[in-house]
Amino acid sequence: MRNSSGSNRGTANVIGGWLLALMLLAMPRTAHAVPSFARQTGLACEACHTVFPQLTPFGRAFKASGYTLFNTLKVQDVNQLKQSTLSLSDLPPISLMVMASESMASKANDSQSSKSSTDFPQQLSLFYAGRISDNVGAYIQVTYDDQSGTFGMDNTDIRFADVATFDGHNVIYGLSLNNNPTVSDLWNSTSAWGQPFITSPAMQTPAATPQIEGPMAQVVAGLSAYTYIDQSIYVEAGLYRSALQGASVAFNGNLNNNIISGVAPYWRIAYENDWDKNSWEFGTFGLAAQLENPTTPAGGGINISLQNAPTDRFLDAGLDTQYQYIDDETQITVTGRWTHENQALNASFPATNADNPSDSVDFESVVGSYFWHRKLGATLGFFNLSGTTDSTYFGTSNGSPDSTWGNVEIDYLPWLNVKLGLQYTAYMKFNGATSNYDGAGRNASDNNMLFAYLWFAF
Amino acid sequence: MRHALLIAAALSLAAPHAFALDSGVSKQTLEKVTTVCQNCHGAKGDSVSGTFPRLNGQQAAYIAAQLKNFREHSRSDPHAMAYMWGMASQLDDALIANIAKYYAAQKPTPPQTGGALAAQGKAIFADGIPAHTVPPCAACHGDHGEGAAEVPRLAGQHGDYLKQQLEAFRSLLRENQVMHANTKDMTDSEIEAIVSYLAND
Repeated sequence: MRNSSGSNRGTANVIGGWLLALMLLAMPRTAHAVPSFARQTGLACEACHTVFPQLTPFGRAFKASGYTLFNTLKVQDVNQLKQSTLSLSDLPPISLMVMASESMASKANDSQSSKSSTDFPQQLSLFYAGRISDNVGAYIQVTYDDQSGTFGMDNTDIRFADVATFDGHNVIYGLSLNNNPTVSDLWNSTSAWGQPFITSPAMQTPAATPQIEGPMAQVVAGLSAYTYIDQSIYVEAGLYRSALQGASVAFNGNLNNNIISGVAPYWRIAYENDWDKNSWEFGTFGLAAQLENPTTPAGGGINISLQNAPTDRFLDAGLDTQYQYIDDETQITVTGRWTHENQALNASFPATNADNPSDSVDFESVVGSYFWHRKLGATLGFFNLSGTTDSTYFGTSNGSPDSTWGNVEIDYLPWLNVKLGLQYTAYMKFNGATSNYDGAGRNASDNNMLFAYLWFAF
Repeated sequence: MRHALLIAAALSLAAPHAFALDSGVSKQTLEKVTTVCQNCHGAKGDSVSGTFPRLNGQQAAYIAAQLKNFREHSRSDPHAMAYMWGMASQLDDALIANIAKYYAAQKPTPPQTGGALAAQGKAIFADGIPAHTVPPCAACHGDHGEGAAEVPRLAGQHGDYLKQQLEAFRSLLRENQVMHANTKDMTDSEIEAIVSYLAND
């Protein structure tokens, strides 16, 4: 889904902006399967997905190959040397996705709110997802979000890719222009395509989040180069810059927040071993970003000229792993991820927006899903966020950002492109405490959420 | 002794055969196509997962016939529809012929010997099951399961794949009247035995 983490304008808007950002962050972070890929390739969903949106080994190769595999008629042209100058699919690779949901929290957020929420559509997305030319393809998603009532850019990944054989090794290589660190990744163990794929838009989420775990999504532009060798070794390196939506860092003297100073390097290295019907991946990923005019999870901010803005330095580094077993009867995917973030608060600390000159946050997740005949499935997830104590920076009652939660989900797919889900999320700890975490008597378990959804892609 | 013969036969086919491209298909085109096939069928057709059949050393005429069946939708078992209808839809006869020759020329995977039910499987393969109207498999598939023309090589195939195909013939999920007649009275344990004799997993 679309994610926003701060392009707020002006001092007066900082807190309001952060409330909006937190509200948007509270919305589901979803990842998607796109039927236009199926129409383009002639392959059923199961070729690329265990159950959407989790990728199979073939799905990973299709993505790395730039979404360019096609098995349809095309409109073509060649020059006098018989070199291709045009190769258009005869079908535009357009897809639509609709999600609708009903949420029921354990307790309303405050005395004014309802504890239930009906969202129709929770999300409506339009995709251009498919081949553009022989070596170029795109996954472009525009999403209407009923919480904001607006359309906006969602995940985007435009690729150039080719394949070569060197000494008997199959080498896919390419470039990805995208708007979310890890959206270019091939496994479901990193943040952009990780579990949970959908959560309640009314869900309360912890104050702290590492930069690579969502805050950068859709507010950056990155170019990365990658190679995928023998469907086993994957190496990607890229650079991200801020690319705000609905605002500009170059015009109008706007005092934008959380702007990447220069470029933010991104890296990803992974190794996958496939045997029989199993695959196991492990890898590392990371992002180093210096943010100008940084805001804090507590809602603090710095707003001075971007030409002179001090920076907070974030260094995110993670380890991830994914195991899959896939056959016709059984589809199992287990993912694990640990993300560590060092925060050198060179801007926030002098501005008295933090108690410490540096903080750190760790995030861990372990999620396992089992599907039977791609029709019935159960998913169990465990998530933990922890960090240093800093009341001013994190804004929690006792200064700790620590949160622990788990979820269980049951899914039913009457057809491969329709999913009905029932999910329950339980918080064991929220923003530093199990009980009275906000100093006003609210307990972590008050944020527990029962969530039912319907998800179509066509 | 039979196992030794089977291994010897497999080894005799071990060296990849050179093949000449048919006219109208460039080496680059064939390489581009086979790198796509490789995503499921493995390098040179030696697939990793038993969901996808090994193609290395498979009979060229069989591969060509199946690709045409996929293209023309005359084979409609679930995997054929999910994967191969799309993949084969734009292949012309010349490209199909070259793909088939390429995989036929690759070194076949030898069968694994000594499975728990291999002896029973060997007997069924050689002599059939008269009580269940199962003819000797070797009569068509060759003494060593190497196949001939449009009759596929079975030796060294993934066990899961062989089992799935025999079950699909038995239930007519994969439409083949000859193989349906041969398998309709087979029991699960007889299928297991044949697979144990022929497969390599």
